[in-house]
Amino acid sequence: MQPFLFRSAAFLGITSLLWVGCKKADNPNNETEHESINKVELTFRQGAITAGVFVVEDADGDGGNPPSRIDTIRLNPSQAYTVDTKVFTISAGTTRDITPTILAQGTVHEFYYLPTGVSLTIAKTDRDANNFPLGLASTWTSGGAGSGSVQVKLMHKPLLKGPNDAPTVGHSDIEIAMPVKIQ
Amino acid sequence: MKNRLFFLLWIVIGGSIPSLFAQTPSCSLTLSGKVVDASTGEALPQATLFFRGATSTSTQSNASGQFSIGHLCAGNYTVEISHVDCAPVKILVQLAKSDETLLIRLPHRFNELEEVQVVGQRSASTLIIREELRGKRIEETRGLSLGEALRQVNGVQVLQTGSTIFKPVIHGLHSQRVLMLNNGVRLEGQQWGSEHAPEIDPFTADRFTVLKGAGALRYGSDAIAGAILAEPAPMPNDGRLSGRAHLGYFTNNRQDVAHLTLQQQLAKLPAWSWRVQGTYKRGGNTKTPRYWLYNSGLEEADLAVTLAYRKARYRSEWYASLVNTTLGLFTGAHIGNLTDLQTAIQADKPVQNIDRFSYTIDRPRQEVRHMLLKWKQTFLLPNHQRIVTTLSHQENIRKEFDRALLTNRPELDLSIGTTMLDASWEQVHTDPTATTAGISITRQENVWSGSRFFIPNFVSWNVAAYAMERYAKGRWSLEGGLRYDQRFQEVFRNNNGAITSSKQRFGNLSTLGAAQYRWNTNWQLSANMALAWRAPQINELFVNGLHHGTSNFEIGDPNLRSERAWNNNIQVQYQSDSTWTFDLTVYHNRIYDFINLIPVLPPTLTIRGAYPTFRFIQTDAALTGVDLQATRWIGPRFQAGMKGSFLFARDRRLGDWLQQMPAHRVEAEWSWYWGKQVDAQTRYLRLSVPYVFEQTQVPTSLQDYLPPPPAYALVNLNFATPLQIWKQSFTFGVTVYNLLNERYRDYMNRFRYFNDEVGRNIHVRLTYKF
Repeated sequence: MQPFLFRSAAFLGITSLLWVGCKKADNPNNETEHESINKVELTFRQGAITAGVFVVEDADGDGGNPPSRIDTIRLNPSQAYTVDTKVFTISAGTTRDITPTILAQGTVHEFYYLPTGVSLTIAKTDRDANNFPLGLASTWTSGGAGSGSVQVKLMHKPLLKGPNDAPTVGHSDIEIAMPVKIQ
Repeated sequence: MKNRLFFLLWIVIGGSIPSLFAQTPSCSLTLSGKVVDASTGEALPQATLFFRGATSTSTQSNASGQFSIGHLCAGNYTVEISHVDCAPVKILVQLAKSDETLLIRLPHRFNELEEVQVVGQRSASTLIIREELRGKRIEETRGLSLGEALRQVNGVQVLQTGSTIFKPVIHGLHSQRVLMLNNGVRLEGQQWGSEHAPEIDPFTADRFTVLKGAGALRYGSDAIAGAILAEPAPMPNDGRLSGRAHLGYFTNNRQDVAHLTLQQQLAKLPAWSWRVQGTYKRGGNTKTPRYWLYNSGLEEADLAVTLAYRKARYRSEWYASLVNTTLGLFTGAHIGNLTDLQTAIQADKPVQNIDRFSYTIDRPRQEVRHMLLKWKQTFLLPNHQRIVTTLSHQENIRKEFDRALLTNRPELDLSIGTTMLDASWEQVHTDPTATTAGISITRQENVWSGSRFFIPNFVSWNVAAYAMERYAKGRWSLEGGLRYDQRFQEVFRNNNGAITSSKQRFGNLSTLGAAQYRWNTNWQLSANMALAWRAPQINELFVNGLHHGTSNFEIGDPNLRSERAWNNNIQVQYQSDSTWTFDLTVYHNRIYDFINLIPVLPPTLTIRGAYPTFRFIQTDAALTGVDLQATRWIGPRFQAGMKGSFLFARDRRLGDWLQQMPAHRVEAEWSWYWGKQVDAQTRYLRLSVPYVFEQTQVPTSLQDYLPPPPAYALVNLNFATPLQIWKQSFTFGVTVYNLLNERYRDYMNRFRYFNDEVGRNIHVRLTYKF
């Protein structure tokens, strides 16, 4: 009996030690690292000319401080722009372009641009693999002078995406209001 | 209104029927029968039968297990049958004419000194108000999760997250305030999370004991609300291969359940015995009366192995278990920011839903693995003394998958390891006192990975010493206990490469005082008072981030103090001569510096929109309530019963109600038994109607997204019957939950904002014991 008891005690002790040894509570992961979209960049072009680049940025990610930069989109009246939307993740000081990921997951994502209080017509020009709208590329046509805002939304909707979804379908990966000034 | 009428009707019916069955006394009746071992059918000589009823008397079975008793008056009797080798059984008999015969089957449970001592020890803790779930009541719940099963216990409710995650709530409190013991070891996982279900395979338990109120000093100081003990059956001791096989099916989510237990005492090495238990469950989407809930499936595979060595003076038990669960969370309830939340709440039917059945478990989901290793030794010393040591290690790995965005990694990935050593010295069976003293040392280490920070890494030590004494004399039983805990905690943080650590220490004394007075054979009064405390847990101190599953930002407070509870319970139990039982428990639980998670403004603004934000604050809480139970036999075959639990939970600093507290609840039952004797093998049909009141006690100072849902009543049916197939004994059971397919929502379900509760669900099960 005694050798057996000794062996089982040793077994239990060693397994416990192994587990304890494997853990490294005193070497924690970096809390500022995360995988979330925390920068959105809208590039406005007229032909080959870049008319403006407007950015929203929340460097410390979800929580912590509120977004550190929200640009005002400044446009000329009665003009048409082609707009490229790019999204980035800034984690532990490194910025990474994740637009290709969104493009690759196009069938479960869709951008929405919803203007309020300002005369703007926005149309999505790109399509996902199922030929449903995506919104990484769009055209913005400004009306008369004025100011308001545009709500930029990226909706994540696995299994749900249809050809003509309301902007409420899915969960928001991005929802941010950017001020707009047409002058 | 309709529901209230129903409730009234039940009171009227329950109260009036008995008078129709009035008896005329005649005291010349004879009752005879035989006492046998339930598993082997062998006759049991020298079983004691104690009759309480119109006549109170007792007798013993003879060498062939037979007994006969004369000069009985007609009427109802409670017969208590006990035998050295068996668990006592209480049956109800209605005696109307002479020459009634009874076959009494006693479950063969104990025949070794140790088990008898375990009973002694168990009764040493009975002064804490307790309720058990066992026998046919536990069999009905086979296939359900632990939390769902424990709903059967009066005063226990559940905190639900959708249709897959159930957390038991005792007298309004849950999570870390409820301690869970799995086969004698404190379950240690990430139990702080209100959507983290306990990682216990209910099939491994033969019974669940719920200790209501603080005072389970032996197991820990932090069980302010109570403790739940999952207790396995004793190891086999008859030398043959035995076990049970169970198959079950739930129609609503097309869930299959299979369980197998095999056990044997080795014939050549009778000191050794083993047991292997395996469970597998798989269910798909659940269906409410109007729509399916997409991604609400579950899959679970559990394994437990026990090896025991028993000699006269020394016992050893090795136990290993693995619980492996994947739980889907309904996509339509997995909201994003406040705008998404509003959209979801305003919709009549969930928007983010695919209205069809599927077994697929997608994101969002939880994958949880829990491993337990235990080694328990018992040294039996002279003079009824013994020393018990338990060494255990648990490893809990929890992965929570939110919406995949950039990688397939889980957002939350926590791994916690707990090593515990308990050693106690016990002296039992020395009338009038019984003494227990012991120490308990726990080391815990938590490591997070995953793509999102939620709670930090930590190492904690808890060192405790306790002593309990029980004294019984005449009609009085008294119990007193003391426990002192020291908790050290070191937390490690990494902010962009800068690693910091901080230490905290908490210490406190817990006490218990209890008394029981047995007036006569019918009435018994128990009272206990406990002072308990609970150190703030890691999430309450340091959490900072988006909580998966709740879509809330939670913010901890590193300056929280321990909460201290002053817990009072009074219980009155009455058992009439065989027809009536009545049980009333009144409790008042004052918690100073009660740690409470409350919503704060403004919401947290992120690039993903605004999120509701919650902070941990301290207040003083007072939880007062009543648990009430009564049963009445109307003839030997028909039993009516009711139970109710009522809770009033106040925030004393704000002078307001506490949020997320269970509403009052009552339940009526009517059971019909086939056969003269009521035991685990009797065929029965039971209709039960739970009625849950609307929760009107909600804080006026805090805004909720939706007001509490209206009151509801459900109709449930239970049926079970023994079956003989190829000369083998089976038990077949059917339970119908929500028979009328009622559409309702429950205040204690965190998904009540988004979807209705589960519709009609028929549970069919077949058990084979051999």
